[in-house]
Amino acid sequence: MSFRDFTEPTLPRVNSGAARLLPLLTTILAALVTILPLRAPGYAALTPAFTLMAVYHWTIYRPDLLPSVALFAIGLAEDLLTGAPIGFAPLAFLLTRAVVLRCRRYFVNQAFPFVWAGFTLVAGSTLLGLWAVHCLIELSLVNPRYTVFRMVLTIAIFPLASFLLGRTQRALMGTG
Amino acid sequence: MIRLSPQVRAGIQRTTLPALILLSAAIVIVGKADQTMFDRFRTTLSDAVAPALDVLSRPLAAAESTLDRARGVVALYQDNRRLEQENERLLQWQQVALKLSADNRQLRGLLKAVPEGKVSYVTTRVIANSGGAYVRTVMVNAGAEDGLARGQAAITGEGLVGRLTEVGSRASRILLITDLNSRIPVVIDGSHSSAVLAGDNSDRPRLVYLATPDAVKVGDRVVTSGEGGIFPPGVPVGVVTTVSSSGPRVEPYVEMSQLGYLMAVDYGLSGALPQPIPPATRPGRRTKTASGE
Repeated sequence: MSFRDFTEPTLPRVNSGAARLLPLLTTILAALVTILPLRAPGYAALTPAFTLMAVYHWTIYRPDLLPSVALFAIGLAEDLLTGAPIGFAPLAFLLTRAVVLRCRRYFVNQAFPFVWAGFTLVAGSTLLGLWAVHCLIELSLVNPRYTVFRMVLTIAIFPLASFLLGRTQRALMGTG
Repeated sequence: MIRLSPQVRAGIQRTTLPALILLSAAIVIVGKADQTMFDRFRTTLSDAVAPALDVLSRPLAAAESTLDRARGVVALYQDNRRLEQENERLLQWQQVALKLSADNRQLRGLLKAVPEGKVSYVTTRVIANSGGAYVRTVMVNAGAEDGLARGQAAITGEGLVGRLTEVGSRASRILLITDLNSRIPVVIDGSHSSAVLAGDNSDRPRLVYLATPDAVKVGDRVVTSGEGGIFPPGVPVGVVTTVSSSGPRVEPYVEMSQLGYLMAVDYGLSGALPQPIPPATRPGRRTKTASGE
């Protein structure tokens, strides 16, 4: 199996600096939202994977503007700041990128339900995979309840995140 | 800048993603094998972004307090009546407490008991959330500069929250008692049966290594035992809510998802928690530590 980073220069050029930085800035913003404490019952354990939504969205529409190195750095910072086991977030983001890049041509210019279904598959398997890794490194069967709830919440909120990201993308880049 | 030929550049681009995936996987394994390795990065980064997180978390706290106030106005009448009744009851208790405290002082004097050490508090605010489904921790906006030290207990007015595990100069991390890696020596109030409160990332930690498993009943109060010298004895922890074949479970007094402000308490015992061994001076084999953490 071979991964490839995004190299094809097929996407429309974006000249404005602000627009070029948009994917990076929104992904950092999503990471910040994940870190900030919201005092809702049970929220800390169920915090949706906001950053994963941004990673999925931008890898489909502008993979050129959100490079792997940025994903690695953002993921590492998120893990360090949330106290999560180190390496989990970068692994999740980079695997998502790898999978989405391979299937990108099926997602571009598709109706939203199709993109959402893709996210369900990608985010679902990523979060379940991380749960399995967590069980493995803790050498115990961690209750999967929170992972399942978090997965459902992440998938349920994705349409809103996708709408917001799509809107800003159209406003600043005029494409998408 | 070095100019690269298009082929070399494409090659680098092609290998970046798989290389970074492998690097992440390696970090997961190394991070688990040597947990102190990334602690310095954690505290450095936490210190660096603590002021920003502090500012960003303020609007959230403000919105919550506004909501609280609105809720308070709606329930003003009932709250007032309830508090009046409670006040009456507590005034009676106050008399009892004053009498007992006087008695206690007198008896201690007679017994020549060693006075308990001075306790100092630092109140801090939670500025960052825990790591999703994997850990139960919070970050607070105070650190070594404010007198916090590794191993101190974190409490609220209701009871024990956890203990400080990473202390930077301006920010610190608290391992909650519900975390998978939290083990607190406790004692069941009343029966004096000692046990260990083991977190498992659920809202209700389990009681393990019970001295007398049959003596535990639903509704029993659980307090710290002070064994191991990390916490002082008698800090309220929670109430036993279920007793099943998998062991009793304890509902903590503190609602962990609603943590706003909490206090780091220095009981003068924090030296009991072993400091991480600095990598440069680490001997070939790990030295055995007193509390066996």
